[in-house]
This record gives sequence, C-alpha cells and structure tokens, in this order.
Amino acid sequence: MIDSTPCLRMRDAAFTLDAVKVVPPTTLAVGAGEHLARVCGGPEHASTLAMMAAALTRPTSGAVLVGEYDPRVQPVHCKRLAAFVPHDPLPLAQIGVERFIEYRAALWNLDIHAARARAALLLERLGSMHESFAYPIVAALLPFPRVLVLDRPQPAYADEILAAAGPCAVFSTHVEAATADRFGRQEPVLA
Amino acid sequence: MTRRAFSAIVAERLRAEKRTIAFACATAAIVGFIQPHGIAGITDPQVADTATRSVWLAGPMFFCSAIGIAIALAQGPGRHAYLDVSESSAPLFGRELARAKAAAPAVAALLAALVYWLAQYLTGFAAPPTFFILALACVFAATLVALGATARRGNPRALRIALAAGTTAIAYLLAVYADMFATRAGDAIGVGTELAFCILVGFLALRDYGEALAAR
Repeated sequence: MIDSTPCLRMRDAAFTLDAVKVVPPTTLAVGAGEHLARVCGGPEHASTLAMMAAALTRPTSGAVLVGEYDPRVQPVHCKRLAAFVPHDPLPLAQIGVERFIEYRAALWNLDIHAARARAALLLERLGSMHESFAYPIVAALLPFPRVLVLDRPQPAYADEILAAAGPCAVFSTHVEAATADRFGRQEPVLA
Repeated sequence: MTRRAFSAIVAERLRAEKRTIAFACATAAIVGFIQPHGIAGITDPQVADTATRSVWLAGPMFFCSAIGIAIALAQGPGRHAYLDVSESSAPLFGRELARAKAAAPAVAALLAALVYWLAQYLTGFAAPPTFFILALACVFAATLVALGATARRGNPRALRIALAAGTTAIAYLLAVYADMFATRAGDAIGVGTELAFCILVGFLALRDYGEALAAR
C-alpha cells in the first residue's frame, strides 16, 4: 500500500524573532519521494525555514506537519521522520568521521555495524564530495528518514546528494534561484 | 533515552571541552594552593568553628562555582555547532536531553572541585570530606542554574546567571552560619539546610533547563 500522506506540509508557517519577521508566512507540501527547493530572502530566512521543516524550530504562527505529526505536540515523532543537514561543514579537526558516525548511531540507537555499513554505501554514492560536507548528509540518512531537509546545500554536489537520498523526499532551502534549480522544483522568491 | 545515547552525549561534550576542563583544573589547583588558610587567634570555640568553616568553604564554593558557571555557559549554542545540531535533531525529549547535557558540565565542575580539594589537602588545610560535600552540592546547583541561561537570550539569560551567583552565596551562608542559630544541633542544621537547598535548587534548575530545551 502506498502512503499518500505528504512528508512535509507548511500552512502559513512563519517565524518572528524580537518583532523581526525572519520567515514570512510559508505554505508548501512535499510528497513522498519528491524534491522541493525553496528560494529564500537571505541566509537567516533559509536556515530558519529549514530548521522549521526539520522540527528543530517551532513556527511562531501557522502550522507545520512532518508526516502526520505536529512538532509542537510530538517533536520526537517528527525528528524520527525528518533529518536535518546544516549548511556548515563538519569540523573534522574536532571530531573524526568514524567517531561522528558512532556518535550519531548512538543518538538514534542504531546498530553500530549496520550504521557503519550504510555509511560506507552512502559515502560511495556521494562520490567526490568533500568529507566535511558528505558526513553530515551520511549521518542524516543513517536512520532512513522520510524527508531530508537541507539548509543551503552545495550546488556542485546536487546530483550526488539526490542520488544518495534515493527514495527519501528532499526539501532544500537556498538563497539563489540558480542553486535551487539544481535541487528540484523552484518556488517563487519570498519577500 | 538509552544509556548509550546518554553516554555518547556526555562523552562528546567532555571531549569537545577538554581544553576548558584542563584549564579549569589547573586554575583550581593554583587557587587551592595559594588561597589564605590561616585564621586569627580566637578563644570562643563557636566563633572559631564558624571562622574555620568559612575559610574551608569560601574558596571551593565561590571559585569552583564560578568554574561550574563558566563551563555551563560554554555549553551554549554556537561553540560546538555540530554537537548542538546533532543533539537537537535526535529523537530525544527535552528533559532527556537536558539531563545528558547537564551531566557534562557537572562532571567538569566535579573534576575542578576535586583538584581544588587535593591542592588544599597537599597544603595541609583541606576541609573534611563531610564539609567538602557541601561545596560540591553548591557547585552542582550553581552549574545547573547557569545551564538555564544557555537556552535563553536577553534578560532571562542574565537572570539565570544572577541566580546562579545567588545560589552560591545562599549556599555558603547556610553552610557557614546556619548552625549559629541552633547550637544544640551541632553541624546538622548547617549541613542539612545547605544540602536541602542545593538539591531543591538543582532539581528546579534541571526542570527549567529541560522545559527550555523542549520549548524550542
């Protein structure tokens, strides 16, 4: 049976901080296996929108649903379905790649041997991508999320990232339209 | 939360802060050695007891609490962004994450306090273990209160830092002076009220931190 529930939905979801509208009201839906790229007004907008999509930040108004769950009520369920990849690379000088995979496997309570094997497979799919950018994506995909949320991903590696994601839906935020084009359907620029 | 996830968070946090912890332990050793240990000649036994206790506890309580507060504030967002993102995106409840994140600065503050006590011991004027437990309780409570500041901004953040300093001062006053009002109970009043105060404040602070993490 095919699950027709969208992986990610936003209805007029907005975020305001200290009376500054960081994310204007946003409405979108990402279906299973779909790729959706959203162009944002700036880095803070892009970052906050991605964090809202991954249930790391709650909208100050409107609604976000990850699968069938509301992050305000069931944040843990949402985090099981959505995986977040930050814009910044992994500081390999502070944590080695092996230890990073072990650490992430422990947080998600994954079998370490299975996690290592899956990490090796995903790394192979990511091909020439630099380890600092590849490992956050590998770590995010370890627990088989339904939607992969990317905050301003590297456009040069778009094909590799989408290949590694496989059947997982991908939602990405960008600050340039040309970059968003490489990751899927492009949405109009938000004020 | 699994024990594995808990220990992974604590271990990575301690590893990420190893230089800060080493620096804290080194300064604790130096201050433990150089802190003034002598008290003036006093004939009244009760006054002498209070003066001795005040000297025993002032250094470890105030200095090690300051270290605990500093280490707690270093857990704030931005310093180790990869840990912040991993922890906040993991499927863990706010209170579970709060317990794990609180354990790391608590262990670091404990290490610094033990180094301080060792330095005092080597100079021949260490507080007896019973009294040193009072200092440890105070350090834990102040550290946990300061952790609440890392999950807030602006005035609520400043309030948590002020409360952490206030917790240290109140714990010190209770530990040193509470017995003066109940001489027949010996040290029990001072020890009991200080421990009860620190446990209550620590418990409330940990809940407050968990609520703040869950509300994000």
